[in-house]
Amino acid sequence: MTSQFAIEQQRKLHAITRRHFFSRSALGIGGLALASLLNDNIFAAQKSNLLIASPLAVKPPHFAPKAKRVIYMFMEGAPSQLDLFDYKPRLVELNMQPCPEEMIKGERFAFIKGVPKILGTPYKFARYGKCGMELSELLPHLSTVTDEITLIRSMVTDSFNHAPAQIFLNTGSTQIGRPSMGSWLTYGLGSVAQNLPGFVVMISGGGLPSGGAACWSSGFLPTVYQGVQFRSQGDPVLFLSNPEGMSAKDRRRSLDALHDLNEMELNATGDPEVATRINAFELAYKMQTSAPELMDIASEPRAIHEMYGTEPGKVSFANNCLLARRLIERGTRFVQLYDRTWDHHGVSADNDIVNPGGLRKKCLEADRPMAALIKDLKQRGLLDETLVIWGGEFGRTPLNEARGGSKFLGRDHHPRAFSLWMAGGGIKAGFTLGATDEYGWNVVEDRVHVHDLQATILSCLGLDHTRLTYKFQGRNFRLTDVSGSVVNKIIA
Amino acid sequence: MRKITKIFGLATVAGLLAFGSALAADSPQLPPPAAIKTDFLRDVEPIFSSRCYECHGEKKSKSGFRLDDKSRAFQGGDSGQPFLIAGKSSQSQIILRVAGLTNSDEVMPPSGERLTKEQIAILEAWIDQGANWPDSAKKIHWAYVKPIRPSLPTVQNAKWPRNPIDNFILARLEKEKLNPSPETDRVTLIRRVTLDLTGLPPTIAEVDAFVADKKKDAYERVVDRLLASPHFGERWARMWLDLARYADSAGYEADPPRRMWPYRDWVINAFNRNMPFNQFTIEQIAGDLLPDATVEQKTASGFNRNTMFNTEGGVDREQSRVETIVDRVNTTATVWLGSTLACAQCHTHKYDPFTLKEYYQMFAFFNNQDEPEMQLPSASQKERQDQLSSEIEKLDTEFKKQTPERTASEAAWETKTLADLAQPVVAPPLTNKPAAPEIPTNIVEALKIARADRTDKQKDAVADYFRSQAPELKGIRDDLAKTHKKLDELNDEIPSTLVMKERDEPRESHVLQRGNFLSPADRVYPGVPAILPPLPAGQPTNRVALARWLVSPENPLTARVTVNRFWGQIFGRGIVETVEDFGTQGERPTHPELLDWLATEFIRENWDVKAMLRLLVTSATYRQSSHSDPDMIERDPYNRLYARGPRYRVSAESVRDIALSASGLLSPKIGGPSVFPYQPDGIWTQIYSSRKWETSKGEDKYRRGIYTFWRRTSPYPSFVSFDAPSRELICPRRQRSNTPLQALTTLNDPSFVEAASALARRLMNESKGTVSAKVTYGFRLCVSRRPTPEESRRLEELYQQELARFKEDPEAAKDLVTGELGAPPKNANVEKLAAWTVVANVMLNLDETITKS
Repeated sequence: MTSQFAIEQQRKLHAITRRHFFSRSALGIGGLALASLLNDNIFAAQKSNLLIASPLAVKPPHFAPKAKRVIYMFMEGAPSQLDLFDYKPRLVELNMQPCPEEMIKGERFAFIKGVPKILGTPYKFARYGKCGMELSELLPHLSTVTDEITLIRSMVTDSFNHAPAQIFLNTGSTQIGRPSMGSWLTYGLGSVAQNLPGFVVMISGGGLPSGGAACWSSGFLPTVYQGVQFRSQGDPVLFLSNPEGMSAKDRRRSLDALHDLNEMELNATGDPEVATRINAFELAYKMQTSAPELMDIASEPRAIHEMYGTEPGKVSFANNCLLARRLIERGTRFVQLYDRTWDHHGVSADNDIVNPGGLRKKCLEADRPMAALIKDLKQRGLLDETLVIWGGEFGRTPLNEARGGSKFLGRDHHPRAFSLWMAGGGIKAGFTLGATDEYGWNVVEDRVHVHDLQATILSCLGLDHTRLTYKFQGRNFRLTDVSGSVVNKIIA
Repeated sequence: MRKITKIFGLATVAGLLAFGSALAADSPQLPPPAAIKTDFLRDVEPIFSSRCYECHGEKKSKSGFRLDDKSRAFQGGDSGQPFLIAGKSSQSQIILRVAGLTNSDEVMPPSGERLTKEQIAILEAWIDQGANWPDSAKKIHWAYVKPIRPSLPTVQNAKWPRNPIDNFILARLEKEKLNPSPETDRVTLIRRVTLDLTGLPPTIAEVDAFVADKKKDAYERVVDRLLASPHFGERWARMWLDLARYADSAGYEADPPRRMWPYRDWVINAFNRNMPFNQFTIEQIAGDLLPDATVEQKTASGFNRNTMFNTEGGVDREQSRVETIVDRVNTTATVWLGSTLACAQCHTHKYDPFTLKEYYQMFAFFNNQDEPEMQLPSASQKERQDQLSSEIEKLDTEFKKQTPERTASEAAWETKTLADLAQPVVAPPLTNKPAAPEIPTNIVEALKIARADRTDKQKDAVADYFRSQAPELKGIRDDLAKTHKKLDELNDEIPSTLVMKERDEPRESHVLQRGNFLSPADRVYPGVPAILPPLPAGQPTNRVALARWLVSPENPLTARVTVNRFWGQIFGRGIVETVEDFGTQGERPTHPELLDWLATEFIRENWDVKAMLRLLVTSATYRQSSHSDPDMIERDPYNRLYARGPRYRVSAESVRDIALSASGLLSPKIGGPSVFPYQPDGIWTQIYSSRKWETSKGEDKYRRGIYTFWRRTSPYPSFVSFDAPSRELICPRRQRSNTPLQALTTLNDPSFVEAASALARRLMNESKGTVSAKVTYGFRLCVSRRPTPEESRRLEELYQQELARFKEDPEAAKDLVTGELGAPPKNANVEKLAAWTVVANVMLNLDETITKS
């Protein structure tokens, strides 16, 4: 039933495509994944009538990549680097003494008022692995994989409020409206996922991150590059399930009819956009099977569940870590896991760094699965080509916040120094970068700004951050704004 | 059977840069010169400006080489070697360097994307054709020069034009040796224009009437009817609300709801009343400052109150205020001037003539406001408000009256209280009586001072406290409290909206270095960029002056930017494709003379919006068939030459409106508070906010998309899928994507399934005929035209398949027909209804249903 028109059109367009570019086998239906073939604004500024493939077709990187995909574990709220990664004996020594005035002179805080007191960590630190990486006792599982990771103790950012800082880390700007890292990557590289989105977001810990959907927005890039939020309960993708009473067979029959009718329209109008819509419906149908199959972690062996601490049917960071692995196995380019409520100010018992309901609870939830993810990727031979990142949006103060005279212990927001770890594709194994001063206040060695981190992530994927640009409102925009340089010291 | 998987639909030039550079890098050889007659200003200067001036321009001239100055460019740089040899592109250094045929450290540009093959080919052609560089080339960018009304071009096919637009379009087509398409059929035409002017599909009766109307002006009368429809304002407000970044919440972390819908209704009404665009502008920028400003004019000033507001703990108030003003400056520049003034917030604009100082002069216009909320009571609410207020006043006077008895009573209370206070504190006996309230310390302090020695403040405090507990005043106290409560409740009911208000004491404005609010530098006063005409003389330099300046006939940008926006809405793309950027980095107009003609016409017609839209939709250009074929698509994929009519998917809101309209569910109600149609659970999950989405009842569940509650951090899911913006900031141009998530939405979103159920019931109730008649009826409700026999057969076949299947499984049929819509009528044939629901679902999902053709 393939129409004469469609054949003719295919021949022509194919010829044009081949003439200008390469014959690309990936351009089957998968190459068209989630894409519009006639998405207006893509490169609207270009003055050319050339025709090319889908915006999500796989595109060559700028240079040979070290990693093919990314799993980014975003610890929303900002975990305390001083209790997990960056040990400061001087703070322990001065615990609960008023902080030296010169330290906070001219500083602006989110919440701290007056002269605050030093807060030394109540946790023991030790050296782990052959590399001797120093970590807190709150991370017993991560301690077993130190020889796989690079720990950066010298991160700095520009903002000390959650929403702008999260948006900054994801989009390179504190203002809403720029594309996020995952959008830039799928825009730059396309996606090999056949029946699933190229950029997937999952959330544990309830609600949305403070920065909201702006954290995975495509900004001014076409919306095909926007992160698709997979929900941990109910339909993983909104409106995936057929209405009650409509079986998969009913759906197939109705899509067959829809297909035929749309094809008649394609013949009658000659509008290639109709062909795109026909493909979109077919992909939607495939997702109806592939997304639930993806989410069904019950099929994983027991050993895997034990390793991650997963429980099928539950909403948890552990489940999301396992799902992240399943997603990248199926070709998704960028998986971002948000784990919420790491914001330990010490304003209540479950917001305290010592109380079992506070920081300790978060570490119990996160430590095992994040280490399991590293081990699992490694045992499957996927770690080499998967870039794994773990961290929050800023650091926390070496000072006790004591908001409103609170008796609980906690730390305020601190943009000047925080820690973050990376592993896998292109990153050194068993390496620690950077240092802060004796108070953990400022970075004194190998400062890594958020834009540097972003440049490094793109570089691991084979993209030059100065060349991955998009013209919008008269300017070539990029993820790293006007700065950023690759942190070569951590590249393997 | 369906082997369409390899159809390469035509895409835009996505990835062109990446591919182009990959080629340039992989195969360092010169592409053949472009086979076009080059024009320096049109073809070459934009490449220099976007890729070269940064290092070889007015600000920097690396290696002594400049490309922004004709003589310097031909001289070459410090080396003395000429880089540009007219007639010899393959020997010109500039070509060798951009093509990567020199030492790698000489490759230009040294960073960022390389030039594409096409760009290199243009430069080669230009050099080979003599490197013609007109001396007048260093002129002001076209958009900053006031448009002059061009004369109409003559055309060979003089019969085709219906109005002046067509002369411009046809002249270009004839130059390109292309023919316009024939006029489209009447059904398609009325559907197209009804969707364009009202955002809704035409009814079957409207279609039939138009098809039957043989009078010469039948189409024009349809257009006039649509322009007069109250739904016209809804459709055009939808466009404007993206620019105004209108939403029903404040944005940021907790994203609390707020009341702004009176502003939204003001926009709808303004379009419906055909308020001239200059007045429309003045009222939104400065409605509050107009002499004897009406409530409506103040409401209009809410345009600038649509900015986000951050309630997150720890936010710096001044930073937040500055960010708000920055948004106002940037939005104003984009909406009216089509300018990227935003770039000058941190540094003087790199490409357009806007300085850092000029940015903060614009900032100064918006730096002087208080930001109040204005109540909008109805007449009866106002009356009730006045009545309650005067009651309160009366009661309060009575409450505070100093009679001799009260003075005595207060004195007695004081004496007793002082005596009580002197008693040693003992544990109160265990009783069921509530403990006497503890007297506040400030009152105790005051009581200890002799009456005569107390300050006035202390005297008042003691008297207030006495009255607040005196048993003899309980009655009147209770009356007062009750009346206050009534007034509070009334105030909650009264709509309110956010408006602008000028402060008495102006704030000082300063240049903010690098845009940082902590680094103020030189003081600045309100003013406009020097490249543009000056502010009107002899009036205060406030927002009124700014608004009048924006819509002054001398302003070269506003009219062009506005007609271009209307054109983009009707034809799918602007004449200047970058509707938000008319600067040097924006696209050039495809039809510059047409743009200028439309802009001058708009001003000549006193900024009459409906007249302008009427002009666009009555042109022969608009009325063409939108059919295309591969040759046409290869020649002009985006229809920039207009050899065919517009065809593209409708907006997110219209996707909803069409489904509701076809199914008969749509409520025609206009205006009022935003509504909550069906939304899946768990979408509103903002932290620090426990607000729940509660689905509206009755007709409010089926209102047009424009009335759906717009929460910035989680906009309505089906709108998000269809490219609606979050409205956190201005969205000058929506994307038009085409994705599986959209397919899932129209297939399975319970709102759309409900529409399918309702359409199925409608087919069974309203069409008494055969299966085929019902198919035709449903098809017409969705796409306006009748199905072809083949289309009809295919849908009938589906109906029979599904009917057979549901007869075997009546339980499934019952489930399917009982969704959001509730149980079907008692006497309904459930299996048939289920089968029709499947068919209706398919009809609502047709590409054609959501496409303006």
